Amino acid sequence: MVNEKELQDAVEKTVKRDDVKYVVGYEKGTYGFQAKPSFAYKPEDAKKFIFSPICVHNLSVFPMLEEKPPLRKGEEPDSRKLGVVVKGCDSRAIVQILQEKGLERDKVVIIGIPCEGVIDPKKIEAKFPGQVDNADVKDDGDNFIVTIDGKAHKVKKDELTPDKCKTCEYPTPVLYDILIGKEIKSKKKEDYKDVKTFEKKSMKEKWDYWEKQFEKCIRCYACRNACPLCYCKECMVDQLDPQWVRRSVDLSENTAWNLLRAFHLAGRCIGCGQCERVCPMGLPLMELNKKLEKDILELYEYVAGIDAEEKPLLAMFKPDDPEEFIL
Amino acid sequence: MDILIISKNDLPKFIDELIKKNTVFAPIENDDTILFGQIKKANEAKLDYLNSQYPPKALILNQTETLFKFRPGPKGDIEPIKIDEKKVIFGIRPCDAKSLAILDCAFSGDFKDPYFLTKRDNTVLIGLSCNKPGVNCFCTSFDDSPASSKYVDILLTDIGNSYYVEVTSDKGKNITKGASKFFKPAKESDAKAKTDIEKKAIEMIKRTQKTENIAEKLDKIFENKFWKEVSDSCVGCGTCTYLCPTCHCFDIQDESTLTKGARIRVWDTCMNPEYTLHASGYNPRPARKNRVRNRIYHKYNYYPKNFDVIACVGCGRCIDLCPVNIDIIDVVTSAGEVKP
Amino acid sequence: MMENPYEPWLATVEDIREEVGGQRPIKTFKLKFKDKKITDNFSYIPGQCAMVSLLGMGECFFAISSSPTKKGFIEVSVMKLGKVTTALHELEPGDTVGVRGPYGNNFDVSGWKGKNLIFIGGGIGQAPLRSLIQYVVDKRKDYGKIDIIYGARTSKDISYKEEFAELEKRKDVNVHLSIDVKEDGWDKFVGFVPDNLLKVKPSPKNSIAITCGPPIMIKFVIQNLEKLGFSEDQIFTTLEMRMKCGIGKCGRCNIGNLYVCKDGPVFSYKELKNIYGER
Repeated sequence: MVNEKELQDAVEKTVKRDDVKYVVGYEKGTYGFQAKPSFAYKPEDAKKFIFSPICVHNLSVFPMLEEKPPLRKGEEPDSRKLGVVVKGCDSRAIVQILQEKGLERDKVVIIGIPCEGVIDPKKIEAKFPGQVDNADVKDDGDNFIVTIDGKAHKVKKDELTPDKCKTCEYPTPVLYDILIGKEIKSKKKEDYKDVKTFEKKSMKEKWDYWEKQFEKCIRCYACRNACPLCYCKECMVDQLDPQWVRRSVDLSENTAWNLLRAFHLAGRCIGCGQCERVCPMGLPLMELNKKLEKDILELYEYVAGIDAEEKPLLAMFKPDDPEEFIL
Repeated sequence: MDILIISKNDLPKFIDELIKKNTVFAPIENDDTILFGQIKKANEAKLDYLNSQYPPKALILNQTETLFKFRPGPKGDIEPIKIDEKKVIFGIRPCDAKSLAILDCAFSGDFKDPYFLTKRDNTVLIGLSCNKPGVNCFCTSFDDSPASSKYVDILLTDIGNSYYVEVTSDKGKNITKGASKFFKPAKESDAKAKTDIEKKAIEMIKRTQKTENIAEKLDKIFENKFWKEVSDSCVGCGTCTYLCPTCHCFDIQDESTLTKGARIRVWDTCMNPEYTLHASGYNPRPARKNRVRNRIYHKYNYYPKNFDVIACVGCGRCIDLCPVNIDIIDVVTSAGEVKP
Repeated sequence: MMENPYEPWLATVEDIREEVGGQRPIKTFKLKFKDKKITDNFSYIPGQCAMVSLLGMGECFFAISSSPTKKGFIEVSVMKLGKVTTALHELEPGDTVGVRGPYGNNFDVSGWKGKNLIFIGGGIGQAPLRSLIQYVVDKRKDYGKIDIIYGARTSKDISYKEEFAELEKRKDVNVHLSIDVKEDGWDKFVGFVPDNLLKVKPSPKNSIAITCGPPIMIKFVIQNLEKLGFSEDQIFTTLEMRMKCGIGKCGRCNIGNLYVCKDGPVFSYKELKNIYGER
């Protein structure tokens, strides 16, 4: 269990620093099992911060969303640091962005929280539908204790956690400035069981499955906008000259979009599952990303988002690479 | 208005009869997602649903709409297309039907949009009342009810063993007269059952949004820092705009090969920074704060100023699916309480 | 079938005149509708705009820069900036484009009869003003004093050079040209347009000022006009926004509850001050 007071103190101390603009963390949502991002600009804002198994979102997308408005004459740009509260998986996104030089290390203050599993919003909505008042969820070893209307329900963790928690190898943030609590070592291993099962299907079965999924896609680009690693200033699909992917919404363009995005994330996706959570039509996007993650591991023995000093996989060249030339 | 009854046994037979003579769209299930799709048999329709993620406005204001075809290039030519599909939308909720009436305002006016209005004329709406509204439904905040027959041609309300049928328009009367063997006149006890169900459904709606004089209140707080706090957590995913039944922004693109092409209209989102980007590089809405504020104002201030109706029906889809829990009920209620 | 406002009419490019060369070239296109019935029925008032499309590339919203008193054709001035305008610049006389219009509101040509008119333009912003200038010059007796203040970055960037030369020769029109930076052979005002305006010092009595140009120029021109004593409803400007439908339906060009394509592009300063929205 995470000590919320310790978290709030750490956030307060960070916000009090002169060189920190704000700290983003979680606060209670507006209904049911929701947690929403909270921005602490002043020390008193730190009291709103919580951490419980409902804090499922990846907040490392926010440092990349900072806009730089045009400056008045003589005005200096605001170069203060940003604080982010991250779980184990979220911290890997920041590390990957640091590897790619999307952010500078001294521009983020990472407040890490060792995480023992969070709750998938869709699964808990299916189990306890129709919750209007905020419900309380606590972590209890192998179970979650969900308190609704005063009554406590004990639910096994495996029933409510998203798939990523079941094979989580990095419960403790891999990089942090402040750690809330003690480091946790993982006993789980990513074995890509679902990917291997799918790989065994015939080509026709695979295409039929994905065609049915891509037909649902409405090209809202929520997956791209919510992903911490999709931060290109101009995405390839917004380009008109040349136009890589058309704007009409049909099976061919939807397939192109989803596959292109998965490939652009190969070797960079850290498996936080934000894209799948955000998708309003319920496309199983993590299945695509996991397959590419497995391929990258087998081909290059590389795991994304672990070491900030390492060079990004597809942007580096070593003399002992198996290929003779960079192409 | 005709008031009739149809038994639960007869309803599938009525739908099958409809399918013989019309193109019928109804809620169907694809994995765990509910959307409106064409049905070929009555049992494909899933009527015990809360609401579809993808709004049924997509059947009238299609996500991708071909405006006309052409032969591209400086020596090109235009080939107009016909717009004449007739359809029946079965099982639409009263809030979604109201949204179509709200969109009518935007697509009429000085320049009438033939694609939207022709389809609107050629579509019959058979609504289904909500017996159990969802957690985030708030249609009652706009003086509407989950069992309102104002914006549909026929409204069905589940009252136990049968459905209470209210036929409000000529289009609806044509349908029921053409299948009159399934319908019987309603009794007073049926009418009371419907009123009871409507009252119970209204009581189930726990969340309300305060929209009194909201347009005037919003006028006073345009530059208030309240909007920065609201929009800080927005990631600009655009989910709210794609699922909202009253959002109507679109993009027009020419898509062509070397020899033929079409000008298409696709849904667009004001949450995208490129939405208002000028060719010179200047962007009047450069930050998320501008865009989130513009969206709320468009629904609660600009639309009422132009057409006298708030462009929100209280369906709650944006609240259900916003990944960062930006809750429009809270945002607008709090905006109304901000001191200017 | 309802009339389809999204379907353009076909027009032939009769003539292309290069106004400005260099990095951001400007060309004026003279367009004539293929169908004579449309040419006869296409009536517009200065200030209104049209959507010109190149089939297969896209559409852009341009101010019609010729006056309706010149019958049989319309002219649009295009600066090469993005995908569609670059393709338009590649056209040759005889090519086909699509035209939709006229859209937007117009300058109040009947309400301004008898008043003194001051036109303040910069760069490509002269295009919508030119329509009104041609109109009032063709109907010279109906209007009072006419002052045209126009500036560009260098003398090569001045649009409509021949027309300005003709206007300068006239005794009933005052033309005040300027360029931003000193140049050999330039004997007129050197400096920014708002400063030229202060030098010309037009009187606000019975006058209307119309300005169009880069946003920063408009801002300072309006400031200086107010310094000279012009009131809010004597100052008019035309705005631009990214547009797609041109008829107030796609939602993108709004400033507050007004759509620039439908309720504009001509706005009085009084209107602009009172609406909330980003511009």
